[in-house]
Amino acid sequence: MIQVRELCKSFDGFPALRGLNIRVPKGAVYGLVGPNGAGKSTLIRHAAGIYRQDSGEVLVGGEPVYENPAVKARIAYIPDDIFYYGGASIRDMQQLYASMIPSFSAERFEKLAAAFGELRPEQSMRRLSKGMQKQAAFWIALSCCPEVILLDEPVDGLDPVMRRQVWSLLLQDVAERGTTVLVSSHNLRELEDVCDHVGIMDRGRMLLERPLSELQENMVKIQLALPDERELPADLEILHETRTGRLRQLILRGSAEELTDRLAECEPFFLDVLPLSLEEIFIYELGGAEHEIRNILL
Amino acid sequence: MITINYSDARPIYEKVKDSLRQLMLSGVLPPDSRLPSVRELAMQLSINPNTIQRAYRELEQEGSIVSVPGKGSFVAAGGAARAAKEAELREKLAALVQEFDALGVSREALVSMIKEEER
Repeated sequence: MIQVRELCKSFDGFPALRGLNIRVPKGAVYGLVGPNGAGKSTLIRHAAGIYRQDSGEVLVGGEPVYENPAVKARIAYIPDDIFYYGGASIRDMQQLYASMIPSFSAERFEKLAAAFGELRPEQSMRRLSKGMQKQAAFWIALSCCPEVILLDEPVDGLDPVMRRQVWSLLLQDVAERGTTVLVSSHNLRELEDVCDHVGIMDRGRMLLERPLSELQENMVKIQLALPDERELPADLEILHETRTGRLRQLILRGSAEELTDRLAECEPFFLDVLPLSLEEIFIYELGGAEHEIRNILL
Repeated sequence: MITINYSDARPIYEKVKDSLRQLMLSGVLPPDSRLPSVRELAMQLSINPNTIQRAYRELEQEGSIVSVPGKGSFVAAGGAARAAKEAELREKLAALVQEFDALGVSREALVSMIKEEER
């Protein structure tokens, strides 16, 4: 649904995106993760048609997005800082979007009012807290019945109950209407539940993109202790190793079963396979890209 | 109805599968009763529908549930959920026995340990 090829963008000579590729299938919930300054927001703004790329291609539903109102009408974008006209109420903003977006559904807007119980349409956007503004943005965005939803740090500022509420509504849309969601977040615990695809970005490039299940099945944490005379097989792809005496903790690429079988040949005293969380995968994948956590003593 | 334990590091589809199976075993979901739809469960748990779908697919493969196109998924009669759970427990037991072996605890001692375990 979203396809970006060899996207480059510089700001004042600083290359924010350097030949980035991404493919978000229709109906996917795609989690975009990466360290600060990786270019996540820049990518999302390109997909929303706000930025014009220096080079490369940005397609949504097979068509270029930039200066293409027909495509943009099918996209909902919720930025980190919500836009509203000074003095506008929620109702004013809703009417603005209703006038521009053909798929806007007044019926859905009424129904969704129940989900955002604390908000009333006549409230002024300016007077709302950051979290409440975000709720208002979700209210209007979901009423637009978009085909693509772009979310930049969406749950930032939302309380835990509202976070679940918002995800529950979004996932219902995904299940029912095949809505495609591209979401950037640092909350990896949450992404793990809601995403089925993950892309890890680093310094303007896509480090890797995979279905989440594949990502989790291709990396394992193994704790083992080997007899002194035994060595690990030489061809293991070790991403990280820590040793405390005989006990080793390895982060390995490969499937759990295959690695257990291989390591069993070394006759370990002890072998334990642990699943990795998305947070750990993120840290170890980036660890290879010089993002190791530095132990700095202050 | 279903709760997911977040401190458990297993993949989410496995956790969903497990809690559904638990509901079948405890009789909350008796044979032939209808399971919540993928959409309902995705909404309720705020979990990706594809993840739920995968849990359902695996439950269907092990024979615990039956999917009827257009109607939904139903708990299978014949106790496949029970058999699957038993197989899982056996695997755990095998691992446990191995650990006892490594400690040098004899099988006889293990058996008497099991017998002593209060019912």
